[in-house]
Amino acid sequence: MHFPTQTLSIAVLLALPAAVRAVFKDEVGHIDYHHQLLGVPQRETTFFHRPRPEDRASLLYTLSDLGVLGAVNPGNGAIVWRQLLDGNITEGGHLRAAEDETWLATALGSSVHAWDSLTGRNAWTLDFDGAVKDLEIMEMTANGGKDVLALHEEDGTTVARRIHGGDGRVVWEFREVNNDVPLQVSTSAGKVFVVTLHGSLLSYSLKVVVLDTVTGKKLDEIILGTKGEVQKPEDVMFVGANSAAPVVAWTDNTLTKLKVNVLGSKGRQEFPLVADAVEVEIHAPHTSQSSPHFLVHTRTATASKADVYHVDLKSNAISKAYDLPLLEGGSAFSTSSSASNVYFTRVTADEVIITSSVSHGVLGRWPLKSKTETEKPTAVHGVSEVVKKAEDNYAVRSAIVTDADDWTQIVNGDVAWTRPEGLSGAVAATWAEIPESEDLARTLEAEAHTDPWSAFVHRVTRHVDELQYLPAYLQAVPSRLVASILGSETSTVSDTLSRDSFGFNKLVVLATKRGKLYGLDAGNHGRIVWSKKANETPGAKPWDVAAIHADDAKGFVTVRGANGEFIIVKSDTGKTVESMPTGLFPPVESAVVVDSDAGPWLLPIGKGGKIAEINGSYAPKETIVTRTEEGGIRGVKFVSEGNQAVEIPTWEFNPPPGQKIVEVASRAKHDPIASIGRVLGDRTVKYKYLNPNTLVVAAVDEQAEVLSVYLLDTVSGQILTSSTYEGVDAAKDIACAVAENWFLCSFFGAYKLRDSQAQTLKGYQVVVSDLYESDLPNDRGSLGDDTLNFSSLDPVDRPAGGPYLPSVASKTFVLSGPVSCLTVTKTRQGVASRQLLAYMPEAHGIVGIPRLVLEPRRPVGRDPTPAEAEEGLSRYVPAIELDPRLHVTHRRDVLGVREILTCPAALESTSLVLAYGIDVYGSRVAPSLAFDILGKGFNKLALLGTVAALVMGVGVLRPMIRKKQIDARWKQ
Amino acid sequence: MYTRQAGVLLGTLFSCLAATAGAASSSSSSSHAQPQTTLTLRIPSTPQLPSAHALPAWTHATLTALGAAHDAPLTAAGAFVFRNVTPGSYLADVHCGAYAFAPLRVDVVLSETSGKEEKVVVRAWETYRGNDWENKGQEVPRSGSGEDGGFAVRVLGYKEYFVERGGFSVFGILKNPMILMGLVSMVLFIGLPKLIENMDPEMRAEWEEQQKKSPMASLMGGGQQPGASPMGNFDMAAYMAGQGSNKKDEGEPTSSNNGGGKKNGKR
Repeated sequence: MHFPTQTLSIAVLLALPAAVRAVFKDEVGHIDYHHQLLGVPQRETTFFHRPRPEDRASLLYTLSDLGVLGAVNPGNGAIVWRQLLDGNITEGGHLRAAEDETWLATALGSSVHAWDSLTGRNAWTLDFDGAVKDLEIMEMTANGGKDVLALHEEDGTTVARRIHGGDGRVVWEFREVNNDVPLQVSTSAGKVFVVTLHGSLLSYSLKVVVLDTVTGKKLDEIILGTKGEVQKPEDVMFVGANSAAPVVAWTDNTLTKLKVNVLGSKGRQEFPLVADAVEVEIHAPHTSQSSPHFLVHTRTATASKADVYHVDLKSNAISKAYDLPLLEGGSAFSTSSSASNVYFTRVTADEVIITSSVSHGVLGRWPLKSKTETEKPTAVHGVSEVVKKAEDNYAVRSAIVTDADDWTQIVNGDVAWTRPEGLSGAVAATWAEIPESEDLARTLEAEAHTDPWSAFVHRVTRHVDELQYLPAYLQAVPSRLVASILGSETSTVSDTLSRDSFGFNKLVVLATKRGKLYGLDAGNHGRIVWSKKANETPGAKPWDVAAIHADDAKGFVTVRGANGEFIIVKSDTGKTVESMPTGLFPPVESAVVVDSDAGPWLLPIGKGGKIAEINGSYAPKETIVTRTEEGGIRGVKFVSEGNQAVEIPTWEFNPPPGQKIVEVASRAKHDPIASIGRVLGDRTVKYKYLNPNTLVVAAVDEQAEVLSVYLLDTVSGQILTSSTYEGVDAAKDIACAVAENWFLCSFFGAYKLRDSQAQTLKGYQVVVSDLYESDLPNDRGSLGDDTLNFSSLDPVDRPAGGPYLPSVASKTFVLSGPVSCLTVTKTRQGVASRQLLAYMPEAHGIVGIPRLVLEPRRPVGRDPTPAEAEEGLSRYVPAIELDPRLHVTHRRDVLGVREILTCPAALESTSLVLAYGIDVYGSRVAPSLAFDILGKGFNKLALLGTVAALVMGVGVLRPMIRKKQIDARWKQ
Repeated sequence: MYTRQAGVLLGTLFSCLAATAGAASSSSSSSHAQPQTTLTLRIPSTPQLPSAHALPAWTHATLTALGAAHDAPLTAAGAFVFRNVTPGSYLADVHCGAYAFAPLRVDVVLSETSGKEEKVVVRAWETYRGNDWENKGQEVPRSGSGEDGGFAVRVLGYKEYFVERGGFSVFGILKNPMILMGLVSMVLFIGLPKLIENMDPEMRAEWEEQQKKSPMASLMGGGQQPGASPMGNFDMAAYMAGQGSNKKDEGEPTSSNNGGGKKNGKR
């Protein structure tokens, strides 16, 4: 087998999959839905900003808690552009905008970027050593433009750099080995301040290093307060920047006093805080022309208040100007400045209030009109833009992050839009049936099990009961008919949760890393049915979900966290059935659904594969495969011994020394086989090796860059087949999937082919392996006639000895890009062909590769014979172009997919798809085309028109002919 | 099954180079042992893609090799700037939602000791997926020099995600062979009697004589009842029109019978 060296015509490659499947334009938004998300905005990195100084319109910018930088149109809440900064999900980061400049600066991890604020293009990128601690814009520069100040920490070294804002070159670098904890960098008109924590853990003092703006030379060093005044970096509340008098504020550990220092001065002032304060925030304008006023927002457990302070520029004295009353419930304060005026906006649960920083007089007050009367979201933080329309007339718009993780814009008290940002950052999800006709199924079952007479009576009464729904049903008939003819029935979003005959309406339960649960209606464009906080008691953040399982018979969804907590909710309403906080149960590594005498349940597996003692009736019937502490995997069987079930290890698999297991894939629970063999072109049959107890294990040796893929029998632990690939990059995605009688693995490889001509290959590859019972057609190998009962433990006796091994056919394909999250479509009966769904992390889309393309039996180096062509085999070409027409997500930009879930619909042709991660995307795919449903291409109007035309034609012709015949008879 | 050698040739080659690393770094960071360079890929202005402004903001490019991965976002100038790139043979891809780009092979090598100072040389070629890595296409010329130098990526075309649905077309229906056959037979049944009508009476009589003799006539006429009798036809039509119950058969039989009836009736 070798790769042909001739150049491949792209036209041929493009033509190959075109006939298989593509999305029709009119299906967009009809079969699929997409929640385009950013993540929950962070307090420090969200603001309104004008992308072009000459333009009055401003955009809303945020760097979210997932590391996504995005610009949102404040008019409608639509995303203008977004960038995933680090290439993966990271919390933290810094975002600053330069007033009157066209760029924004971000810092995340170790790199500093500048982006064009209108188009989202990169202006420049710099990578440094160490971690970014702070980022600030330097307003006053000699060259008229604005520069960026970045503060890095490189083990024990504090590094501050001034970076030219326009072209991203480093103007100067300040480096000091001092073992301090660098906190923030700040700037005022003539100086740069680097604020660090000096000392050792739990007894720090604040140190301010004053630098020259032009050269970066150290001018002064000020130690603020006594040793031990600051215990941890979080105690420093705020370091202002770019104002006429930037301040640094910190509190003692018990939140009783606030200490404030004007940067550059030596003195500090203390102010008492409200009793029982739990949180203190400081809001100050970030422009140098604004008045040097700031607001201290103090939160107690139930209420919040604010104090406004003024800084005297001459004496650096800080005085309290006024305070805003203590109000029950949470409030969000935000600052907005225009010229020297500073406005403070307070958003409470009931109203929006704006005040000027100068006096406590209320400039505007709007009651908050919430869409839902029942529950009012509490604002956590927000940003606002205050516009002075006339002397006494103000308008305000605030973008508020609520405690429900929604991002809402409130314009003068009215909710303008709400973005469900809480849906982002999902870590686990499951499909669940809508639990309504389960009742019917149960009644039918009950009827079947009673004596005939009572079953008959029960049935008659049930039908009589159902008569009450008849009028409503009849009423709905005309509208349904019209909607069906016009094809508009599925484009409208219905508010009710109901099943449909096609099985498209299903629930999706999502768990996010912020500890929220969401119920989505997959049949209604992913509408959020319910959402709730999963952990009433604060659990670990981010939430580490070990497993999620939907019990469709009961209508419950169980979510198990890694710290032993679990919650059981109703899938349709989200009501908690049972919950257990963290810490009461031992930590859980994963959990698996097992079948037991007491019904299926979610068995938690502890760290290192430890399984707690199980009551006899709950003993799993299957072999459980767990990871071991040594990095291997093992199989465990349960044997009941008295009241308890005792685990018996049956086998253990440890990869060779140096290899680490990176991926384990098993066949899905629902993986029906429609045919046990493949009929070849010459009418012979190749029997599939269909062992339900198989597991694909990918282990990689990072030093030798070797990937080994093992296929294990999970009952006996026997290796059925293994293959080794050299030159595989362990740092890049390695993904595997198993279905039916085939499995595949994708990886990045660069290696020399062991061929007569020395050829090297480099690229993203996927290896497909088919398993058959025998190499020969019409042969079941040792599984032939007399062995009807196959057992993994008692291998079929073979003359050659050893266990029965399948015959394997493999092919390697080179993909045009990396793929991850490999999933195989599932259909109800498994008749429709399968499609491999994979997320393309670089191209931000989900691709559906037909199984026919990934076929190991494609002939190499020759055209297929007519018999092979009849089977649908085409000539092997090593490259698979991930053609845009194969993209399930078509034009959509689906970001950060973590997992793709598939679920069979009631229709055999269709498989439901859900992808989650940063975004949530759902669609339907029909790998063998939609053969059992009329698509949008079926023109019902044309059909009706044709029938009507025929009827009319007959109606017109019939009298004519009758007349003619009567005439003819008379003329005879 | 594939068999392959321990093909870590590239890796060993470059670790040797790393050992002799000089101070050829062009990056701001000097702590790295390996020489580094900055590499730029540019999107040229082509008829297919006149301006890089048409590309979505998330367009980015990647450089991939065994054990190395670099990612660069699209800049406002329509370029991708990779910083701190160490020597290696990289696969460069541009990922974009709107346009497809040809992959490149980018080699970053230390030039052989040209004097004392070692220089990092970057070269780029087009590469073909699924082919030998050494099977390079045309070398992509480097535009500009030093830091400003860059390689142009080739635009393959606009990405077409959707397929057109086969719409309703009258011509498409007419092309169907069944419809064509039907049309031909309709022409025969309707047009032939008209043709006969317009014939010269003598010739017509002659032709009719011939028809009676030929076995075809008995076949064609014999399909319906005792051939030439007009009464037979009348019965049929009366049955059709009078009872009207057999709607299904109405269209075709009437038209064909009517033609025959007319022919016979005039006689």
